[in-house]
Amino acid sequence: MTGNRQEGNMRAHNAQCTCWNCPAIDLTGKVDFRACGQSREVFTQEQGDESEAYIVAECKRRPELGLFDPMTITFEECPEWKSTHYGYLLKNMRVIILGLDGYLGWTLALWLGSLGCEVSGVDNFSRRDWVKERGAHTVVPISRMTERLHAAKEVLGININFRQIDILKERDKLREFIEEVKPEAIVHYGECPCAPYSMIDVDHATFVQQNNVLGTLGLLFTMRDLVPESSLIKLGTMGEYGTPLTGRPLFEGMFPANAVLHWDDREWSLGGELTPRDPVSFYHVSKVQDTYNVYEACKYWWLRSYDVMQGVIYGVNTPQVATDPRLRTRLDIDEWFGTVINRFVAQAVIGFPLTMYGAGEQIRGFIGLEDAMQCMTRLITHPPEPGQYDVVNQMSGFYSVNHLAHTVAKVASKEFAIPVTIQRVENPRVESDIHPFEPIYNKLPDQFGFKPKVTLEDEIYRMLELLTQPHIKQRIEEKKHLILPRTWWSGIKKQVETLEILEEIKYEPSSTAYRP
Amino acid sequence: MYHHPPLLLLLLRQRYSSEVFRSLEKGFGVIMASNSNRLVIIGLDGMPYHLIKDLAESGVMPNTRAIIENGVFSQMESSIPEISSVAWSSIITGTNPGQHGIFGFTDVPDGTYRLSFPNFSDIKTLPFWNHEGNGRAVIINVPFTYPARSLDGVLIAGFVALDLKRATYPSSLIPKLNEMDYQIDVDSSKAHRSLDLFLKDLDKTLQARIAAYRYLWDEENWQTFMLVFTGTDRLAHFLWDAYEDESHRYHSAFLDHLHQIDNVIGEVASRMNTGDSLLILSDHGFELSQSDIYVNFFLTQEGFLKFRDTPPKSLADIDQGAKAFALDPARIYINLEGKYPRGSVKPEDKEAIISDLETCLNSLEIDGSKVIKRICRKEELYHGPYLGHAPDLVLLGNKGFDFKSGLKATKLAGRGVFTGKHSQKDAFLLINKSSPDIIPESPSVSDIVGIMNKLRGET
Repeated sequence: MTGNRQEGNMRAHNAQCTCWNCPAIDLTGKVDFRACGQSREVFTQEQGDESEAYIVAECKRRPELGLFDPMTITFEECPEWKSTHYGYLLKNMRVIILGLDGYLGWTLALWLGSLGCEVSGVDNFSRRDWVKERGAHTVVPISRMTERLHAAKEVLGININFRQIDILKERDKLREFIEEVKPEAIVHYGECPCAPYSMIDVDHATFVQQNNVLGTLGLLFTMRDLVPESSLIKLGTMGEYGTPLTGRPLFEGMFPANAVLHWDDREWSLGGELTPRDPVSFYHVSKVQDTYNVYEACKYWWLRSYDVMQGVIYGVNTPQVATDPRLRTRLDIDEWFGTVINRFVAQAVIGFPLTMYGAGEQIRGFIGLEDAMQCMTRLITHPPEPGQYDVVNQMSGFYSVNHLAHTVAKVASKEFAIPVTIQRVENPRVESDIHPFEPIYNKLPDQFGFKPKVTLEDEIYRMLELLTQPHIKQRIEEKKHLILPRTWWSGIKKQVETLEILEEIKYEPSSTAYRP
Repeated sequence: MYHHPPLLLLLLRQRYSSEVFRSLEKGFGVIMASNSNRLVIIGLDGMPYHLIKDLAESGVMPNTRAIIENGVFSQMESSIPEISSVAWSSIITGTNPGQHGIFGFTDVPDGTYRLSFPNFSDIKTLPFWNHEGNGRAVIINVPFTYPARSLDGVLIAGFVALDLKRATYPSSLIPKLNEMDYQIDVDSSKAHRSLDLFLKDLDKTLQARIAAYRYLWDEENWQTFMLVFTGTDRLAHFLWDAYEDESHRYHSAFLDHLHQIDNVIGEVASRMNTGDSLLILSDHGFELSQSDIYVNFFLTQEGFLKFRDTPPKSLADIDQGAKAFALDPARIYINLEGKYPRGSVKPEDKEAIISDLETCLNSLEIDGSKVIKRICRKEELYHGPYLGHAPDLVLLGNKGFDFKSGLKATKLAGRGVFTGKHSQKDAFLLINKSSPDIIPESPSVSDIVGIMNKLRGET
């Protein structure tokens, strides 16, 4: 027994999870001792008396336990789960990251490696190709994969088992790799993460949907066949929900138990039903289709998955990527792959007026890179139950674009003595500039112990620290012509025009202002 | 008289693995085969004495009747509790649960509330086929012999055995079993969906079992051949009412299954050599189930058992202050301080709690009928080095009351889908020899190994 194995003064969020959640368990079958009956159909959902049948499990890590009821050992009691700052973590947990070379994938690989996970990863370097195809580049230079892997080993002592695989076109290779690694968690970042890219033309739209939807569908079949006990942490997006003008709350994937539909003097409980989606690009549609595919796979095959509706990501910093220039993760600022805060900071650095689309009153959920890593880790440590599909809204706050522009301007001006101008440009997207927005994002804090660590201002500060370095500033300058959008949802081809230049924002430098 | 193998082979057996030895032994088949005074055991899981008697007399089991007429046929007591894991462990080892250490299908290791499912590896005494001098054995479908261990011979484990690969020794036999579409047991979950589907699967399982027995009977050079049919128990659980009620839709299906078993008995008897012994037995009996009694619900209701969550997910939810809990079917354990994580009964208070429990349980009635026939303390039932691990109390019910100790019950009594329940006094024993002194006056399951030894010694 381990009475002191706690997270700070609080009990770890996953302390009471049992082997039923654990991916190291082999759910062997079902036994009904009342009728001396056995069945290999572990997960057949039966009614009535059959519910008294025992699920029989074996631990792959502790075979000496023999067969047992998986509900009767908690993570807190099991010596294979060690206490960490993020909850109990399976010792040397085998995690595969799909999309390891990307902005999030690489960062998570180093993060999990530093926690003692055995990290494997897959990528086909398509993100590098897509950015190159648009004539852009990552403004924070990144190394080739061989050098990245070498540096991870040399600097952090992390061995990453990497394989170059296209998960859509090389399904057999992916199967072989998964069979070899036998992952206990799979993080799926291996999709094209870009709304404007999917809206360029028919070729790009069909490519994004095929790549994302069919790649993920293939993965689900592979998991069914090889590692059904592994948890799938799948990246979705808050953009799946859109911004419905009804103003209804953006629940976490499914309606809460007490939600009720009233219509025509009748009412129905909506509890547990998937909420409506209102995606805002063909890319977002691909994520919605993924949601349904993953949901169905969990239902049909008792796979287990968290669908992570991530807010707009920003930032450059984690303790690992900041250790060595060779360990840095990419940062894109072009109109296709750049996210709003990252792009605003880059624009501020080179004196390019920050570009708000339309009124600039669009509100979105956001999360910093380091906080996103914390969330993903907490989800990995708390695997869903067999057959459980669940959704988390992964964000640490929500802001209007206008607020973001002013925050970047304020930090740049006050802390880095960089005066910033803000402009409004034509909005190339089909979206409401002004809309209600009430996201619900309680699960990660309430059920997984997530506490945001990095404020918006702190991360903007850290980004400015990095992006004002001369060689990076130079790389931003080289691609500044790719900042203003030319991809219109309507299909027209033209650069957006400026609607209004707002006042220059200039603060007195603070006493602790950054001096490069 | 048992014929010992040649000295050369005994030396080789010590030196080489069983697989190598087996092939060598086959080469010496002519020398090895004693071909007489072999022992054949057929187990009919859950078949009561009175049913076999009825069906033999009514003509459904004519081959069995012929053996009864020329042999010894007796009622036999099962183990307490009267369940397959305990009873078969006693049958194959000749020891009582205090010696072999198996008290049920489930167990809770000291220091935990982990509900574990013991298996063959947990039996602390040796099965007869590992006894010195018993020769080569073929063991098919004996319950509680999973995972299979090496032996001089062949073993295909019976229920609970979820993986055929680990249920089979030697592993070279697995492709042949797959070819036969061998399955260890009928898929009991089918019975909850459709009795027709269940009966179809029951028949499929039986046919594959027969194919396996025929193959190994001819292929192996054995001295002991043991074949257990477990479908009989499943059939009785789900369709005992069909047996008792001639107008029942599945009455003839019930009889037909037993008739098929009788055909196998006849076939086996006809293939035996003069001097071979045939022992047919069951591990417990059966009777009509009238009411399920949920023991843990009763303990909770009477304040002996408390859980942290309602409904509890598992035994791990047992709370501070709980005095006792039950495991299937009706084994009651005192939640002793120092023995369990939230043990709440001090050793000096244990006797008082047991007395309270006995008083309380004795008063249990359903519709005016007394539920419990006998409350047994472990010291009355068991002896041996594992007595300390035995349940403190075991309940025996009056006719028709079937005890369950799951955690999901929300009432004291109910009726499930099962129409048959195990009975303790009504197992049977049948031997194709007419010497009555082979069988003790009141035989029980732990006498079987002694009976086998007598049969082997008989010329």
